[in-house]
Amino acid sequence: MKSFRRLVYPYLVWGIIFIVIPMLLIVFYAFTKDGNSVMPVKFTLDNFTRFFSDSIFVNVLIRSLKLAFITTVICIIIGYPCAYFMARLKPNSQAMMVLLVTFPMWINMLVRTYAWRGLLIESGISPEIKVYIGMIYNFLPFMVLQIYTSLSKMDKDLITAAHDLGCDNKLAFLKVTLPLSVPGIISGITLVFLPAVSSFFIPKLLGGGSYVLVGNLVENYFVTTGDWNFGSAISLIMTAVILISMYFTRKFDYSKEDR
Amino acid sequence: MKKKPFSKLYLALILLFLYLPIVYVVVFSFNESKSLTHFTGFSLRWYEKMFESQTMMDAVYYTIVIAVIATVVSTIVGTITAIGMSKSRKLIRESIVQMNNLPMLNPEIVTAIGLMLFFTALNIRLGFITLLLAHIIFCIPYVVLSIMPKLRQLDDNLAEAALDLGCTPFKALYKVIIPQILPGIVSGALIAFTMSFDDFVISYFVTGPGINNISTYVYTSVKRIDPTVNALSALIVLAITIILLIVNILPLIKERKTKRNEETI
Amino acid sequence: MKKLFKLVLALAMALGLCGCSGGNSSGNSEYGCDVLNVYNWGVYIGENVISDFQNEYGVKVNYSLFDSNEAMYTKILGGSHYDVLIPSDYMIERMIGEDLLQPIDKSIVDNLDNLYEGVLNKPYDMDNTYSVPYFWGNVGIVYDKTIVSEDDVKNQEWEVLKNEKYKGQIYMYDSERDSFMVALKALGYSMNTENEDEINEAYQWLVELDNTMDPAYATDEAIDGLIYGEKAMGVMYSGDAAYILSENENMAFYAPEKSGTNYWTDAMVIPANADCPGLANEFIKFVLEYDQSYDNAYTVGYASSNAQVLNDMVAEGGDYEGNDAYIPRQQNDKDEVFHNNEPVRELISELWIKVKNS
Repeated sequence: MKSFRRLVYPYLVWGIIFIVIPMLLIVFYAFTKDGNSVMPVKFTLDNFTRFFSDSIFVNVLIRSLKLAFITTVICIIIGYPCAYFMARLKPNSQAMMVLLVTFPMWINMLVRTYAWRGLLIESGISPEIKVYIGMIYNFLPFMVLQIYTSLSKMDKDLITAAHDLGCDNKLAFLKVTLPLSVPGIISGITLVFLPAVSSFFIPKLLGGGSYVLVGNLVENYFVTTGDWNFGSAISLIMTAVILISMYFTRKFDYSKEDR
Repeated sequence: MKKKPFSKLYLALILLFLYLPIVYVVVFSFNESKSLTHFTGFSLRWYEKMFESQTMMDAVYYTIVIAVIATVVSTIVGTITAIGMSKSRKLIRESIVQMNNLPMLNPEIVTAIGLMLFFTALNIRLGFITLLLAHIIFCIPYVVLSIMPKLRQLDDNLAEAALDLGCTPFKALYKVIIPQILPGIVSGALIAFTMSFDDFVISYFVTGPGINNISTYVYTSVKRIDPTVNALSALIVLAITIILLIVNILPLIKERKTKRNEETI
Repeated sequence: MKKLFKLVLALAMALGLCGCSGGNSSGNSEYGCDVLNVYNWGVYIGENVISDFQNEYGVKVNYSLFDSNEAMYTKILGGSHYDVLIPSDYMIERMIGEDLLQPIDKSIVDNLDNLYEGVLNKPYDMDNTYSVPYFWGNVGIVYDKTIVSEDDVKNQEWEVLKNEKYKGQIYMYDSERDSFMVALKALGYSMNTENEDEINEAYQWLVELDNTMDPAYATDEAIDGLIYGEKAMGVMYSGDAAYILSENENMAFYAPEKSGTNYWTDAMVIPANADCPGLANEFIKFVLEYDQSYDNAYTVGYASSNAQVLNDMVAEGGDYEGNDAYIPRQQNDKDEVFHNNEPVRELISELWIKVKNS
């Protein structure tokens, strides 16, 4: 089985070339500043001090994390039962449901968000709720698909065994089904939480524009002001914060397996 | 089994939620006026405009070509990598997981600018190739992420048994592992296709003159209100409906065929 | 940053990392190329202009779109090759300053006489060496006559946006450039000021507006919103205002006279690294002709740079007969053209984030 280990090497090389190197470019920008004469390159922490010395930037980051967090939690709460029920349908209906859940995402996100804007325009719902509706709408399919994947083709004998050992439905679910679907939930969290932190079209369109999030901030510094250095720094800070939190989620996940 | 009506109702509600805005888009593609919020009368003018627009039709073509190639490549590479990862030491596995997270984690604009600088620094002219490469780059992580949970559930003993029974590793992979993780591969491929189909920011910065996708068109047009975009979306809905019908009818045809075969025997 | 970028580029080339840099396939037109790369705003061209040009010149046009001057600029900086761009005034000024553009070949573009004289010789490109105007206009307030009193608008000008009678009824333009323009003009300053105190005062003005008026920040979403009366007032570009007025007769447009406003132009330019400048010049000439300019103006609804088209649009039976917003006024000393605001760009950007977060 160890022979399979070699299978990762091509992607490792690919990843270093196309993911890590461009990322290093961003790191380089984050630690330098415009106005330096190009040689010698002067490394500086100015961009980072600038970020943390102004509460406005930190607030924006916290707000973005909060939005992503709540979106993720609601997606799990709504998505889990959906995935669970899907996994218990007949095989043909399952395939059908998977497609039905995926297809809305083929309509451009912007078009769908505009549609929500139109749908909600006379509803009198507060902008904040509108933003959450839009966010959940956009990310729910990812969560459902991931959880469903881990629930489908699950060994039914395990549940029967649990029943035989005297578990009722509830206990069997808690002791067998739920733990087995944890990897799926984690994948779902990754797919929802990470992109949600940096999303900004949806809040912008549905929240009446008075919403600055870390995604806007980075876009703004990269495109509008052309300050790639500060933009890179913001993105790096965000990456660090999220990677740390993901690390703990993952630790929780592996702790079960590596025991 | 007594819970069944509730589960059906729940699924129906979710589908209602997911398709509500889409129905709205389709309805407004028939709107007479430019408005995206007020329906003033029935007309097909946006469809006419859409089919007349060379830019739009080109965009549809490139979107589909790129999405299909990117999905196939990233699904194959992603599956192979995920299988390799599940057998790798923790350090390598962890590093790949983190590396994989980067494109998902970074705001798209960061990945976009990073790649643009990278391609230009290598003096590769921005265009179809760079666009395709970029899509493969950001699709693979989604595939890997979708397959990993399935691999964790996989019973290692199965593959070992296959090897003991004389299978080559490749055969064990093909006959034992792949079928077990198929749901993960399918959902990975679906997500990859979706991401490629819907991507704007990265595509925008790594593409060259004349190579646009639907998202680029939508993004630059919808801001100035262009209902042809709705017409285009309605067209995609039509395509989806056809796919759904085929998926539904195909098993029926198969069934009938096998039945007929049985009868002839 | 740009220097650094150029360095990376130079290094890569020096190291012989040259990949597949595609040249032009030998073309069949007299300019040695059969492809023209045009880069323009979304929904900003007549329905048939591209296809007509392709037929007449026997070349293929690659038509690409951008949604902001800055996004376009970033692409050019990233080494993309286009033949014709259509950016706004301040961006043209910036690109001229950075040697990113090449002069228009006036021996090919020999029909500049077609241009409306009001759009020529503006400060971003004093003698139109590099640019040929495409669309132009100003910025003002669109308001619902049945809700907002005309006197209020005309007396208070930009300050009407802070009139608490209309709380919750206004769209503020969601862009730092345009909203700071409004604030600076309301305070009687130049919109191109580099004086930090004035900019800070404008910031306070915007924060007050944000706190007291509960505005919705929007760009083009506001067009629909005003046509259907979701709000009573909004800051608008004249071209969009003309469209709103033509759809909803309750609406009126006013570009503040005493305080002045932004007088803008989007113009065609040819980047220095264009693959086919000859054909690019032919394209510009082609667009200046009556038929193409008319097609543009008819489809987009902005004020044409072609004098004849402009006249016909507001003449009896024209699309915009009697429409106040269509032809922007001329010769108001208070009106200004945006300059490239390099030194204060970051400051304004940061303040704008703060306004929206206040």
